[in-house]
Amino acid sequence: MKWGLAFVAPTMIGLIILNFYPFFNTIYQSFCKTGDFGKGNIFVGPKNYQAVLAASETWQSLWNTVKYAIIEVPFGVVIALILAVFLSKKIAGVSVYRTIFFLPMVCAPAAVAMVWKWLYNTQFGLINNIFHTKTEWISNPNIAWISIGIIGVWSIIGYNMVLFIGGLQEIPGDYYEAADIDGASGIRQFFNITVPLLSPTTFFIVQTRIIGALTVFDLMFMVMDKTNVALPKVQSIVYLFYQYAFTNGNKGYGATLVIVLVVFIMIITFILQQAEKKLVYHN
Amino acid sequence: MRTRKAISVALSAMMAVGMTVAVPAVAHADYSVSEIQVNIWDNNQLQGLQEIADEWSAESGVKVNINVVDWDNYWTLLEAGASGGEMPDVFWMHSNTAQMYMENDLLLALDDYIAADDNIDLANYYEGIVDLYKSGDKQYALPKDHDTIALLYNKAIFDKYGVEYPTDDWTWDDLVAAEKAITEAGKDDGVYGMAMNTSNNQDGWYNLVYDYGGTIVTEDHKSTTIGSAEGKAGMEKVRQIIENGAPQTIVAETGTDSLFNSGLVGMITQGSWMINTFYTADNAADYAWAMLPYADRDGNGQCDEGERQSCYNGLGWAIKHDAADPQACYDLISYWCGEKGQKEQAEKGVTMAGMKSVSEEFANAFEGMDVSAFTKIEEEGTLYFRPYTRNTTVWEDALQQLGCFLDAWQNPSDPAIMEQACDNAQNIIETAIANE
Repeated sequence: MKWGLAFVAPTMIGLIILNFYPFFNTIYQSFCKTGDFGKGNIFVGPKNYQAVLAASETWQSLWNTVKYAIIEVPFGVVIALILAVFLSKKIAGVSVYRTIFFLPMVCAPAAVAMVWKWLYNTQFGLINNIFHTKTEWISNPNIAWISIGIIGVWSIIGYNMVLFIGGLQEIPGDYYEAADIDGASGIRQFFNITVPLLSPTTFFIVQTRIIGALTVFDLMFMVMDKTNVALPKVQSIVYLFYQYAFTNGNKGYGATLVIVLVVFIMIITFILQQAEKKLVYHN
Repeated sequence: MRTRKAISVALSAMMAVGMTVAVPAVAHADYSVSEIQVNIWDNNQLQGLQEIADEWSAESGVKVNINVVDWDNYWTLLEAGASGGEMPDVFWMHSNTAQMYMENDLLLALDDYIAADDNIDLANYYEGIVDLYKSGDKQYALPKDHDTIALLYNKAIFDKYGVEYPTDDWTWDDLVAAEKAITEAGKDDGVYGMAMNTSNNQDGWYNLVYDYGGTIVTEDHKSTTIGSAEGKAGMEKVRQIIENGAPQTIVAETGTDSLFNSGLVGMITQGSWMINTFYTADNAADYAWAMLPYADRDGNGQCDEGERQSCYNGLGWAIKHDAADPQACYDLISYWCGEKGQKEQAEKGVTMAGMKSVSEEFANAFEGMDVSAFTKIEEEGTLYFRPYTRNTTVWEDALQQLGCFLDAWQNPSDPAIMEQACDNAQNIIETAIANE
């Protein structure tokens, strides 16, 4: 017993100091009008919540975040799955391809965002130069959210792909052999064997990526200037949190925004857990 | 076996001796620290400041370690450090945040040190900067520098389209006329006469508001007159500049400096802290500075008192309240801020001095580039201090975004939208001040 506690202590201490304490402190701060430098917090009850829930920018940002997730998660999963299936086959140079697709994962997100920022530039951007267009990829409020979503998909494909490759190796080869003998086509095999047997992996990726996408911040922060006219239609809820908590120094309001996001993620996760029982195929 | 043991003992002993001897050998007898940690946010100034600090280190034996943290992260880091008790020993203060740090007793009060120091007499520095770092009759930072604004233009573009260069006698109307001529002539090349973003406040549209008699923050820091007729007149001129210049979406994506350096914009307004960037640019030979234009409010054809204004601001050197050796920290900033340090700072072209009467040195710092426009406006124009309140960022950011001036920047051809934006700005600033 003593030894057991000693062995879990490093993890537990880390969790308590780095996760639990800040979490409860955030909840506490969301009920305060916070003072400068963490001093002089005044308890104000649900005032912050009233302000946050009444502000239209909160709901706009939440909607922006959901829109980002709607692009990143499905495309990130489907493209990664297709790539994983191809890269599980015995083709020449397979590890080279795997490395190439995984590379975005190794790059610093800030560097990735800076490169894309210039690719998208209206005047000098490579994309507009190649297609001879003048599209305002990141300044047109109708397009900007898609442009940001594309960066998200590009960055995450490699990671999802590696997880899928791992999942694919778990599927016994017998099923495919049997299907071959029965004369099933490759596409038929994919939908009737690969997809159902891969569903635990798929579910895991979808769930973690939804949470990841709902907490997106760096892409908007790095790619879009503060004076970008499309920003209100693209900024995520964490971006809004950063703006209030760190730029404006209003920690209480920021904490409230985060709690709203946490509640939202909890609801989504609950729904997903319910769906898991119906959608995921267990051997 | 034995020899190996003997060697290791000897080595450890040497190491132990080395450690005990090395520390006092570096530190000065009077100081209890051997190193001072300094944080700044401007990489352009690092080299010059380090050189001056090294001179002080040679005298004092205390090493000065300067870290550069970019502007946005600087404040996040400093605030986190202040909350957690881990601030750097010496750091820059700025008008946006000084009040908050002073009121929370996070900075060392310098009055006793200044009184005992022959090197520093606060009367020799710009009053606005001295006052800024004063709270409850105590001085919390020494003025490091000051900055002014000037007009930067690209001679090659003016030559190409046959437009006369800007002069020191220009009014804002002259500027708009020249800007329009370049934008029209340069249409096929994608060249614009001028670029100004909503974020170019201190170095941009603030100055027009003051030229036309308005204010961003009134002198008592309690209100604003941006929504007054004068404020609106200034912003109306700004609207004309934007209408005839580069569209805001392009400016926001690429940035005014990059547009200018790419030869796509004829003029921008810039602060003296940016000179080095343009001095070392590829096409620096084409660049020249002129004084900011003035607003001929009474129409008498000459620049009268208050018609040509430049924003000025100044950083302060501050020390954390619980510095291990406050005297060492103070002696360092006193070296930077004393006459010798200030002159050196100007000569090296780091920034203009916080001390008056060292303008000359700075004007001569950039060989081959005439930067006298920055110092001339101090005599021929009026300086006003960068508008600030207790929590400046709140309204400063809101002014730049949708719901305020970004609306007008997006629709520059409609004067009514600019007027509405001025009213919104009035409202935003008043509300923000009320919430402080």
